[in-house]
Amino acid sequence: MIDPLNALIIAAILTAISSWLFWPEKGLFWRWQQARQMTRRVLREDALKHIHDCEYHDRRPTVKSLAGSLRITDNEVSELLSEMQDHELVTFEGDQVKLSLQGRSYALHIIRAHRLWERYLADKTGYPEADWHSKSEHYEHLLTPADAEALANELGHPRYDPHGDPIPTAAGELAAIERLTLSNFPLDQPGRITHLEDEPEAVYAQLVAEGLHPGMSIRVVEVTPQRIVFWANGDEHILAPIIAANISVDTFSVEEAPEPVPHDHLNELKPNESVRVIGISKAIRGAERRRLMDLGILPGTTITAELRSPAGELTAYQVRGALIGLRDEQAALIDIEQGRL
Amino acid sequence: MTNDEILKTAEALRWEVGGDFHESLVENIYTNAAQLADRAISYPDKPPRFDLDRSIDRLVTSRVWGFPIMLLLLMVVFWLTISGANVPSAMLATLFLEIIYPFLKGLAASVGLPWWLDGLLIDGVYLATGWVISVMLPPMAIFFPLFTLLEDFGYLPRVAFNLDNFFKKAGAHGKQALSMSMGFGCNAAGVVATRIIDSPRERLIAIITNNFAMCNGRWPTQILVASIFIGGLVSAQWAGLISALAVVAITLLGVLLSFVVSWGLSRTVLRGEVSTFSLELPPYRPPRIWQTIYTSLIDRTLVVLWRAIIFAIPAGAAIWLVSNITVGGTSLAEYFINWSNPLGILVGLNGVILLAYVVAIPANEIVIPTILMLTTLVLGASGEGTGVMFELDSLKDTEVILRAGGWTLLTAVNLMLFSLIHNPCSTTIYTIYKETGSKRWTLVSAFLPVVMGFAVTFLVAQVWRLLGG
Amino acid sequence: MKTTIPQAPSSACQTCPAHNVGNLTKLGIDMEEWDYVIALAGNPNTGKSTIFNALTGLRQHTGNWPGKTVTRAEGGFSFADKRYKIVDLPGTYSLLSTSLDEEVARDFILFGQPDVAVIVVDATRLERNLNLALQVLEITNRVVIALNLMDEARRHNIIVDERRLARDLGAPVVPTAARSREGIPELIQAIHQVATGQIVAKLHRLKNESPVLKKAINKLVRQIEAAFPGLPNARWVAIRLLDGDQRIIQAVQRGELGELAN
Repeated sequence: MIDPLNALIIAAILTAISSWLFWPEKGLFWRWQQARQMTRRVLREDALKHIHDCEYHDRRPTVKSLAGSLRITDNEVSELLSEMQDHELVTFEGDQVKLSLQGRSYALHIIRAHRLWERYLADKTGYPEADWHSKSEHYEHLLTPADAEALANELGHPRYDPHGDPIPTAAGELAAIERLTLSNFPLDQPGRITHLEDEPEAVYAQLVAEGLHPGMSIRVVEVTPQRIVFWANGDEHILAPIIAANISVDTFSVEEAPEPVPHDHLNELKPNESVRVIGISKAIRGAERRRLMDLGILPGTTITAELRSPAGELTAYQVRGALIGLRDEQAALIDIEQGRL
Repeated sequence: MTNDEILKTAEALRWEVGGDFHESLVENIYTNAAQLADRAISYPDKPPRFDLDRSIDRLVTSRVWGFPIMLLLLMVVFWLTISGANVPSAMLATLFLEIIYPFLKGLAASVGLPWWLDGLLIDGVYLATGWVISVMLPPMAIFFPLFTLLEDFGYLPRVAFNLDNFFKKAGAHGKQALSMSMGFGCNAAGVVATRIIDSPRERLIAIITNNFAMCNGRWPTQILVASIFIGGLVSAQWAGLISALAVVAITLLGVLLSFVVSWGLSRTVLRGEVSTFSLELPPYRPPRIWQTIYTSLIDRTLVVLWRAIIFAIPAGAAIWLVSNITVGGTSLAEYFINWSNPLGILVGLNGVILLAYVVAIPANEIVIPTILMLTTLVLGASGEGTGVMFELDSLKDTEVILRAGGWTLLTAVNLMLFSLIHNPCSTTIYTIYKETGSKRWTLVSAFLPVVMGFAVTFLVAQVWRLLGG
Repeated sequence: MKTTIPQAPSSACQTCPAHNVGNLTKLGIDMEEWDYVIALAGNPNTGKSTIFNALTGLRQHTGNWPGKTVTRAEGGFSFADKRYKIVDLPGTYSLLSTSLDEEVARDFILFGQPDVAVIVVDATRLERNLNLALQVLEITNRVVIALNLMDEARRHNIIVDERRLARDLGAPVVPTAARSREGIPELIQAIHQVATGQIVAKLHRLKNESPVLKKAINKLVRQIEAAFPGLPNARWVAIRLLDGDQRIIQAVQRGELGELAN
């Protein structure tokens, strides 16, 4: 029999090696898996998307802009473009690169896949908002048109992605939407956020961190060259104009504009207190939103906090005669009146 | 008007009615329902408060008492099962092994059955079946009704409510507590119960980790080994309590492991965020005791028992065959035992136990009889017991055989650990395949626990030897 | 498990009492020995399984945790020379979400076209329970409401005016306390009357819709009625289409809806 000490040492070494390789998240193997994704096809598809994006916004795609967006060198961009020309995805008019018909429908497929996947992540999974874009950047390259169609089926043919961008149809039609942004929105007008631009990522992350999302009702109260002060669903926000420009806004017609009221969140409700619900935040979407509504959590519903889980982070509420446990982060997205009943 | 045109119109109209359509729809239905209810209902006094339900809830989910009550209930259920099953088990064993068995042997001899047919049918198939019934039926007939009473009363969702945060930290779904609870009865039932989890990722985690909920088939092993080796460490009056504590400790270790494995899975192959969910805490209903006992006997006990019998029959035949087919004077069983013994010893078990676990893949319940039978085989004891599964009347006899087979306290502890952490039984594996539809996840569910089991028993064995010599 | 369809779906149905044998057999219900099919729907924890047991004399286990019945349970009974088959559907709060249990329940009520849908309603939590009842009443008018847990309601001093409820809903309402078999004979009587057409409930229509919505629904209803003449619940189908309900879109595409019209 092996000496127990030796056996333990061998086992310890083996464990050390395998945890170095396979430790959840930080192990070499899992990192390698994530890094592996960058392939030729991905580059090509990202280039198509960039060119399409430029054309959609009436900008000129250049070698420089491509190099910046794809994070590769100018030389590699030229190589990539000529390869794409060979595949009849782009054409050149002088030094101006344009999508071919085939290239456009390819690009639209990628955009469709991307936005559908974002919609999927938003509606059907619990991934945080800040991850949607980067995850979809990966998955857009994996979905075939048939997959995208199946996904659209499953999601009930959504028209917009969770940021408010239109999703191209399978036939390759893309609705054009006109944009007012928060930076040029008139003072003291009721408005509604229709879209958050998800690039650049740093800016988007800041918007998400502010708790902003499409569907919020807003009112701009102060505009200076340094800052824009506005109310969104009853909370005050301050943003630099350059960042506010990434928020698209729509005007409300006066009668449908709800007054943004100051409110509390359900997780602030103390045990045995009752309160009326104002609404479910737009940040809860899809199946989860439907589930909450089916349970009867609707504007005007009276809700009472009853029990607190001994392990924390979960409270049971009395809703229309049933006792329903909701986690704190979910309760935080349900708006309630400030006055208790 | 073709069908596609209808869909086109609908699609176009969807743009008009706006994104809040679903919301206003649900609101509208509830408003209607509220109006109807309002008109139909009146309260002669004041609106009801459901005070009794609330008081019970405050107690079983309280910061101070919530967890102790859970543990206490677990202890009580185990203790009732352990102490209540002893006598009927012994009576059944006497009936099957001391009365019917000799009678069948005599009958076979009088009709002149060839020795191999007599061995295969009576020493193999019959004994395996008899053993499974006498070992399994009494504890199941006690455990399932008790568990069903708790279930009908409405306690299980409160367990999920109490444990939710741990599951969340482990990256698993809060309702995994419910499927885990069902797994204490039978892992296959637990796997089916994971259907209440909507997210496919979290459902897979719940399926893979369900095996760590120690199922009914594994208790006989746990209870027997704990009674002999751990209960034997203390004086007789404490033995029952200490054995029950040991079994509870192993059970809690299983719960802990299911958190750990969930955590690992949710950060590697089943990466993703915890999905939110709402947990309904149904009103308590006083259980109807006699009906519950009746239905749980019919629905659960007999179903599970029948399954065990079905699997025990071929297993019994297999055990008899490997013990009695010899090549060059050595039986197949001995070949395997000799071959696997070094590995067994390394992890603090032995070759006999490993072979027993191979034979017991169809049903964990037959582990102990197989071990006893194979041990006597290896010891070369002659007479009735050779190559035959049998039950020993008293714990003392069992202990004598096991100690003669080289068993120590370490072997016992590691057997208890390995019994908790090894592959699920074949029924569960088949259920996992049916529920996931994936060969890959079925394989993961089957092999992950075996690998972990070897790792844990190996570590315990080495540390034990280092410290204890 | 798919069973083969024993006879041509619609033509044979003129003579057989159950009015939709074809669609039921497609859903895996063996209709050889039964005259009528009854679906049992309701919220979780309303004593649905207890009613099922009381009607059938079976003793199906009734656990007390949400989601225990994901599949259907089946049983049967005889009354007035007719043989009734009962299908116990998973308990749900609604038929609008996309979860598995709701789909099972919804599909059975819509595509199975049971002769009677018994909606079990908890008398102590009426508002929440009527939410589901109203949704079923939009799909089918062959409905009996079992106002269950009347014993609990009495214990909590709640008085339910079942006549007024029946009038408002336009469907028969039978108060029951299934645990003590109270009201079960009356429930069977009501089931019999609906199955044989002696009582006909009326489809429920939601009130308070916005003008835009009304216009959209009406437009779609006209098209649907033109394409599937005789469809009993065109309005509900229109609303589901507007809501983007995938299963219903599929049913329109494949023409399955046509089989529901008779």
